[in-house]
Amino acid sequence: MWINTTRFGRIDVDSADLLNFQSGLPGLEQCREWALLADAENDALGWLQSTTRDDVAIAVVSPRRFVPQYQVRIPRSELTPLRLHDIRQAQLVVVVSKNNKGLTLNLKAPIVINLEDRTGRQVVASGDLSLHQPLDHTLATLKKSA
Amino acid sequence: MLVLSRQRDESIMIGDNIVVTIVDIRGDKVRLGINAPSEIPVHRQEVYEAIQRENIRAASLEPEETRDIGGLTSK
Repeated sequence: MWINTTRFGRIDVDSADLLNFQSGLPGLEQCREWALLADAENDALGWLQSTTRDDVAIAVVSPRRFVPQYQVRIPRSELTPLRLHDIRQAQLVVVVSKNNKGLTLNLKAPIVINLEDRTGRQVVASGDLSLHQPLDHTLATLKKSA
Repeated sequence: MLVLSRQRDESIMIGDNIVVTIVDIRGDKVRLGINAPSEIPVHRQEVYEAIQRENIRAASLEPEETRDIGGLTSK
């Protein structure tokens, strides 16, 4: 089906690939249906595009690609609405945002996706995790100067 | 706001399918038990609001701003 997007223009998404978020996302509670798109230039990046709001898209990444030691404890009550018994059955992504210093990752509230059911939900992980974990250039700068 | 007084082990019903129970009271801290259908998210308010603000901020991100993400890392 064709959807309009402000970032990617008019795109054709397969209805079978859409994700249903029963509760939307905090702050975007009315956005219940999303398409997960691959970024055209960056294979580390995905975009959750709302199918009902053309201007709403959330950049997401697989957290361990950027934070190798990232481990989450997610209360079972957060997983049951997705009919998941085990976090390992799920796809976990985290939201990319920005502050005045650069890009950040929301490690505290990852998005859990049940790929079989095509459902998703943003959950609150236990523990002292950051809502805006900075990503920095340290590694990239070191590589350049070597 | 509806204000009710409850003692330990007493409960409040919200609608016909949400029950809030006072599990423990210790000093100025109250432990609450919440029984709600799993499709209704239940969160500490300040945490939920912080996540809302963060999502709204994230939703303003444009692809051009993510171009160098491949070279980034985090400790």
